[in-house]
Amino acid sequence: MTRQEIFDKLMEILAAAEGSDEIVKSCTESSRLRADLGLNSVNILYMVIAIEEAFGIYFDDVGVNAFETVGDTVDYIEGKLS
Amino acid sequence: MNGSTRKPKLFSFKNFFHDFVRVTGAPVVLWFRPKRIYTTEKARIIPKGGLLLIANHTDFADPVYMMLGVWQRRQYFLVSEELMDSRHGRLFKACRCIRIDRDNPGVSTFREITERLKSGECVSMFPEGKIAADSSKPSPFKSGAVLMAIRSGVPIIPMYIEKKKSAFGRLRIVIGESVDVRAMYGERPTFAQIDAATKLLFEREQSLSGWLSE
Repeated sequence: MTRQEIFDKLMEILAAAEGSDEIVKSCTESSRLRADLGLNSVNILYMVIAIEEAFGIYFDDVGVNAFETVGDTVDYIEGKLS
Repeated sequence: MNGSTRKPKLFSFKNFFHDFVRVTGAPVVLWFRPKRIYTTEKARIIPKGGLLLIANHTDFADPVYMMLGVWQRRQYFLVSEELMDSRHGRLFKACRCIRIDRDNPGVSTFREITERLKSGECVSMFPEGKIAADSSKPSPFKSGAVLMAIRSGVPIIPMYIEKKKSAFGRLRIVIGESVDVRAMYGERPTFAQIDAATKLLFEREQSLSGWLSE
């Protein structure tokens, strides 16, 4: 799976969780999860669970603060898939 | 509701210390046992499978009152890292409390909680996150409890613990009807639905506090 495919799938997850495409329209890899997308720690935890199910991966014992930007999350998924 | 979780065993060696504390503490318990007020007849029915208990938090003794309020269930509390690492930490570990980093909650903590709930255990927590500065009314809830209940498919029972007025008097606890958030919002709710469920629980908690002023 390419990095772009991972990013697109992550955007689908975020859009489904938000209930609209608004959150992902201006989203880039440098977008900050909390400051730019307005997510809180529970939202990030929910996103992580959805990622595990969608990508079939298992997150290690990481805290929600480990993911500062969308790019950090894509990095983590990419690392797990490889 | 709650049909997917198993009924926990009556006795298990891993819970020996937890049960020892419950039995030896019985005389104190009888003296300080809170007066329980149920909002409805349905609220008297405490589910036997996985269950999430929530309450307001105004005092360090609140976990004790929660255990006394719903004595039928063996409850496991979420305990902050600071308390787990304190000199009382061994007690909390022996009672199988769940360690949580309040500032940076981890995926494994969430996984442990949902696994315990799915296995039929009763987890108790304070959605305010910490002891409220103003004990006269509940502080806004964090939405972690809702996510845990939705992901594990267990009901939530809200409780309101009265602020203790005298050292030797009995306080009152109001116990409300269980709330099945998964039935209301499904297994995959949106962020807005999680916030709505959290607001609903907070409103329930506020209405429970109203029972004490009647």
